[in-house]
Amino acid sequence: MEFKEKLLDSHLAFEERIDLSDAIHQTRLESLKTFEQKGFPSRKDEAWKYTSLNAMVLKDYALFPQTETTIQLKKVKKYFLYEIDTYKVVFIDGVYSPFLSDTTHDGLDVCLMSAALSKAKYRSLIDTYFNKIINKEDSLTALNTAYAQEGAYVYIPKSVVAEKPIEIIHFSTGKEKALWLQPRNLIVVDQNAQVQILERHQSLKEHVVVTNSVTEIYAHQDAFVDYYKIQNDLSTASLIDNTYISQEKKSNVRVHTFSLGGKLTRNNLNFCLNGQHCHSTLKGVTLLEDQQHVDHYTLVDHASPKCESHQDYKGVFSEGSKGVFNGKIHVDQLAQKTNAFQQNNNILLDDKATVNTKPQLEIFADDVKCSHGCTVGQMDEDALFYMRSRGIPKKEAKALMTYAFANNVLESVELPILKKRINKLIAKKLGVNLGFDL
Amino acid sequence: MLTIENLHAQVEGKQILNGIDLDVKAGEVHAIMGPNGSGKSTLSSVIAGHQDYEVTKGNMLFQGEDLAKLSPEERAHKGIFLSFQYPVEIPGVSVTNFIKTSINASRKAKGMEDMTANLMLKKIREKSSLLEIDSRFLSRSLNEGFSGGEKKRNEIFQMAMLEPKLSILDETDSGLDIDALKIVANGVNKLRSNDNAIIVITHYQRLLEYIVPDFVHVIFDGKTVKSGTKDLAIELEEKGYDWIKEMV
Amino acid sequence: MGYTEEELKKELETKEYEYGFYTEIDSETFPVGLNEEVVRRISKKKKEPEWMIQWRLKAYEAWKKMEEPEWANVQYSKPDYQAISYYSAPKKKDQYKSLDEVDPELLKTFDKLGISIDEQKKLAGVALDIVMDSVSVATTFKETLAEKGIIFCSISEAIQKHPDLVKKYIGTVIPIQDNYFAALNAAVFSDGSFCYIPKGVRCPMELSTYFRINQAGTGQFERTLVIADKSSYVSYLEGCTAPSRDENQLHAAVVELVALDDAEIKYSTVQNWFPGDKNGKGGVYNFVTKRGICHKNSKISWTQVETGSAVTWKYPSCILKGDNSIGEFYSIALTNNYQQADTGTKMVHLGKNTKSTIISKGISAGKSQNSYRGLVQVHPRAINARNFSQCDSLLMGNQCGAHTFPYIEAKNKTAQIEHEATTSKIGEDQIFYCNQRGIDPEKAIALVVNGFSKEVLNKLPMEFAVEAQKLLEISLEGSVG
Repeated sequence: MEFKEKLLDSHLAFEERIDLSDAIHQTRLESLKTFEQKGFPSRKDEAWKYTSLNAMVLKDYALFPQTETTIQLKKVKKYFLYEIDTYKVVFIDGVYSPFLSDTTHDGLDVCLMSAALSKAKYRSLIDTYFNKIINKEDSLTALNTAYAQEGAYVYIPKSVVAEKPIEIIHFSTGKEKALWLQPRNLIVVDQNAQVQILERHQSLKEHVVVTNSVTEIYAHQDAFVDYYKIQNDLSTASLIDNTYISQEKKSNVRVHTFSLGGKLTRNNLNFCLNGQHCHSTLKGVTLLEDQQHVDHYTLVDHASPKCESHQDYKGVFSEGSKGVFNGKIHVDQLAQKTNAFQQNNNILLDDKATVNTKPQLEIFADDVKCSHGCTVGQMDEDALFYMRSRGIPKKEAKALMTYAFANNVLESVELPILKKRINKLIAKKLGVNLGFDL
Repeated sequence: MLTIENLHAQVEGKQILNGIDLDVKAGEVHAIMGPNGSGKSTLSSVIAGHQDYEVTKGNMLFQGEDLAKLSPEERAHKGIFLSFQYPVEIPGVSVTNFIKTSINASRKAKGMEDMTANLMLKKIREKSSLLEIDSRFLSRSLNEGFSGGEKKRNEIFQMAMLEPKLSILDETDSGLDIDALKIVANGVNKLRSNDNAIIVITHYQRLLEYIVPDFVHVIFDGKTVKSGTKDLAIELEEKGYDWIKEMV
Repeated sequence: MGYTEEELKKELETKEYEYGFYTEIDSETFPVGLNEEVVRRISKKKKEPEWMIQWRLKAYEAWKKMEEPEWANVQYSKPDYQAISYYSAPKKKDQYKSLDEVDPELLKTFDKLGISIDEQKKLAGVALDIVMDSVSVATTFKETLAEKGIIFCSISEAIQKHPDLVKKYIGTVIPIQDNYFAALNAAVFSDGSFCYIPKGVRCPMELSTYFRINQAGTGQFERTLVIADKSSYVSYLEGCTAPSRDENQLHAAVVELVALDDAEIKYSTVQNWFPGDKNGKGGVYNFVTKRGICHKNSKISWTQVETGSAVTWKYPSCILKGDNSIGEFYSIALTNNYQQADTGTKMVHLGKNTKSTIISKGISAGKSQNSYRGLVQVHPRAINARNFSQCDSLLMGNQCGAHTFPYIEAKNKTAQIEHEATTSKIGEDQIFYCNQRGIDPEKAIALVVNGFSKEVLNKLPMEFAVEAQKLLEISLEGSVG
């Protein structure tokens, strides 16, 4: 049986596991139909020109893990920001782990999607926000919605500043030979509220796992959302991340994506700027080797005047890895005085590595400042030679150059401990120990 | 030549000029001074006919003709020249091409034929040497990548080329070092004659040491508050603008 | 007093198409419709050899199985391919020995086009081939060129007189099944220009073709083939106009360039097909495939000024096959009223040390949509490939759109690719500055637009640069003195 058929057929089994009277079930059924009609995207779709899911969906996956698993904290501690106090929403093979989590309802809600779906007091919020800003035509989002049940639910009320960062972490253990996960997150940040969130998907041993995740983020007037995605999974894990962000007046949303690991990663990052004077930041560092494949597909929809968006993605590709960047800036006819900037720089380190980049501008307003630039190049051999002539070994010199190249993005991480952690991850990936903090 | 009576003007609903009086005759040099935000630059924009400024009261006559009815380019054709405080960049259009277009547009408005290439060239050579302008400069894109001094020199070069009746020099001294200031002032002085008039708008007295005015007017809060001879400028330099503020 | 957006808009709308006249010439036009028989008839009419008929029929078979592409950022109602006449020729003698034999009406047409042939002759420097409604009507300077061994004639003549050359190269750069419009063209093209520059010859003058659609209800499907043999050089110009008509006319041309080792081809186009009226009625559908292949150390440079057509779909491209070859693309695309343009280039780097440069200037006014679409592809064996792309858009008014879709595919680590794009509007401060210097708003806009386009205008041969500059002004305004 084809996996698509399995997904359609298994929905009955899924329905037996959930509360059918919850607020979203009708939406689930409609979304299942959308997925049935559209199926998985193929390379014939312009949006998937450079990334093929064929090999991925030819396999068979378990949709519901058979047994609940517990993990010892010490085994996974390194994946947390253990140096500081954080809220944590942790899942193991798609199932909530109360033991590893640290949730709250004290002045703000950091809890489970399944709980928010089943409890009456969340009903109106779910009605207002769930599945409202997603792209209804997107088949993978529809597939996620059809099976939406578990994930993180975050609500930051008006004028509340979340004092601790929130970590949303999904572990997969490898108990199943091949696992298909579909977490669903909803994050609502009310007027003048602030929050920092870290999201991570991590397998604990080499096994096939695909995560098709959907996150909806609502930033109300004057809200501030600082979101970090750490993608450093094992080479057997793939991720399709669909993130939808809706911004109201004067809100500021920043998303940083660090793609260092994984087999195939696709980041669909969508911003819609609905109010004036919004600020949006989309930044990423991609560092790949072997047969890794990362595809950043961003859309910034300037639907209101006087907003500003900045995109800056840096990629370094070696050993047969493949990088894709597809960034679109859309400026609506109403969105006068828009400032939109987009930058994508890539370094190819190996002949077998590939970069495909497609930065797009679609502009319907005349009083705007929009620009994009992209480059594909190499490391500056002269600079490398200079460093080596000063006694810095080649590997370290290359690492230094990589840091310098990615610095703009690294520098804008606002959580110091996270910045340190990412620097370490990059150093490890480059196989160097620089002996100093960058 | 230019008579301004009780001029009131606003920009985006904000009242800036509240009663300006000015009478400039041929052969005269007038200096307009005032603290920042007093309306000096607004006055120059209003005289030149900038669309953002709306005259709400009073009138401006240039050689007996009501300026309010004329478009900016018509005012230019009549002989009004504004040296911009911040000259605008036009990428891809060379200084020469721009001045050629400008001169021929004015000639056309007067029913004259285009200036012949030879005459144009001769004139460009003559006037550029007056302002010590390098010929390579003339082929550069208009104001693009020009230094502050180059921009101002280019403005006075255009003034020399266009031979206006009334020149308004808006903060021409800002951003100039002393050598550039001398070159510019020297150029302006050579262009002075009994037939034309000059209005110098400035914050400091420094420029007036080189371009000596016949009359000095002080503007404060959008009004002409004091008029006098060049001694007024010196007095202002000594006592500062607070002196005027106290007086008002 | 000042110059408002409203006035600007009004002025832009009142622009009239200057070349919208129709010439009363007795024409022979095929009935509408397309089938195998029509293809055969066209071929027969042109007295073509059997291999050519077979080639056309193969193309026709391929076309029948293809679908009209929809990926471009343009919207139009697809032409009814059975409602078009595929052959229309001014009915006169088959061959003109000299210009004196040409229909005086036709000569008047050229006068109106501003390309009086007499004048052209005197100017010495441009050899001209004129294609009217798909048929080549006059080629000047043939003898001067013949002395150097240069062949410059209509493609129909070339098929008869130089079949080996044609057979060797036609369809090699753009295969018949390359795309929908190229296949259609291969099946039904009725004429076009052919040019061959022998080894080591530097063509002493600009070669020029003027295309004009005259007859109603016809499509124009010309095919141009330019071959620059080893170490030769040629500069080729192409201009196009059409009468104003309410209906949409189809123009599906194919241009193939072959630059052999060490050769250089400079191909310039000023495209001014009828763009439709200010309400978007009528106008030419300009669906053109242009591509050149560069062999070792050779260079192909495309320069285009696109101001006409209701819908443009055009991507002059370079296949940089030979080592050290160079591809260039310089483009100005101006759209006004309801025009839509989706244009750009493909630079395919196959050889070592290949270089490409792309400079694209898009100007959108009125309710038009202007898209740049480009592909820079570096193949695994293309060591040290270099590309620089710059795409700038200028928007006038807030009812138009400017779009940029660059695709960059790098598969070699030594590739260096840089792409930049900006979008801006004409500054009110720029207009006021010009006004203050006595330049009226209309002229001021022309000045700014010309400045914006200068990098590309500079790449055109002198004769064309002046014309192109004027065209930009006319396309934006009523008339500018």
